[in-house]
Amino acid sequence: MTPAQAVRGWSELFKRNGRREDPVAPPVAAAAAADALTTSKVLPRFLAALAHQPAPVILDLGPVVGANIAFFGERLSCKIHVEDVFADVERLAQLGDRAGLGACVATRLTQVPATIDGILCWDLFDFLDKPTGQALARKLAGLLRPGGALYGCFGTTPIELHHYTRSFIESADTLRQRPYAATPVRRTVLLTRDIIKMFDGLVVAESVLLKSSTRETLFRRP
Amino acid sequence: MVNIGKSVIIKGELTGSEDLTIEGQVEGKIELRQNILTIGPNGKITAEIFAKAVVVQGEVKGNVTATEKVDIRDNGSVDGDVAAPRVSIADGAHFRGSIDMQRTGAKPADAKAASESKPVDVKPNAPAVVPVPVGAATPVR
Repeated sequence: MTPAQAVRGWSELFKRNGRREDPVAPPVAAAAAADALTTSKVLPRFLAALAHQPAPVILDLGPVVGANIAFFGERLSCKIHVEDVFADVERLAQLGDRAGLGACVATRLTQVPATIDGILCWDLFDFLDKPTGQALARKLAGLLRPGGALYGCFGTTPIELHHYTRSFIESADTLRQRPYAATPVRRTVLLTRDIIKMFDGLVVAESVLLKSSTRETLFRRP
Repeated sequence: MVNIGKSVIIKGELTGSEDLTIEGQVEGKIELRQNILTIGPNGKITAEIFAKAVVVQGEVKGNVTATEKVDIRDNGSVDGDVAAPRVSIADGAHFRGSIDMQRTGAKPADAKAASESKPVDVKPNAPAVVPVPVGAATPVR
């Protein structure tokens, strides 16, 4: 056996018996390399809507991101509720109980209606089936105060999703997006008119189709 | 700087005027209004916390109020509401609750004068599992 073969043999052995490779999770280095900068036309309007409030209350449905907390704290001196609904989506997906998501989402958000100034949905609706999405949208519309804003991204291509995206707000119009592993699911693609119907009571203030085929939308409560 | 070792369990109210590091378990209430509280990697807290600054490397269940800063480090975990003018959360940290960075100073709940501070003292409101005066506590290995 040559030294190269011996090294390869050992590395194979460690691969099998030591660290197990997760077929879904991208290696850390690969994930970091996959960070992408996206320019947002809608996020600045979301921030502008909140800037009018003296001490806005924000509901973030994504995982907690320290950089975003610091950003909002410095900019808006606000209160942020962190409700990582993506974690529930993943937990139930791993249990093979995506149908239970509707009930989970309905009980998770306990905020008082009409007390939230801004809601960050990110691309959550891509991972929800239509009835769950509709129920959540109704709930969110009810949580918004008059004048409040809701930011969401909606994919337009029906592909298999293998990762969630953690968005870091770099500046008012720039997001750094970092993927992290997800149990694969077919994206729920909604027509624009269905999205508008879903958020009954809110009006579309801005809607932009990005090069990534994602539609960034800002809703306002009149 | 006082250190509560990882074998120490305190149930009750903990107040003081020295910086404090907790590696053990505390249930109840912690008040260090003029000082820095550090929850070490082994620390497990189920309590309301009031301090000048709080650094979390372990686990906290309960609301955290700081007059200056709350810093949740990598592997730190907070289940509860945080109120502080500045909040820092590391990428690997766990957080569930709300974060209030409204610059309104102290909350009504911490209306008691900070000048009441005295050396760290434990007032058990239930039979303590280990009745240790915190000032004398040293890390137990």
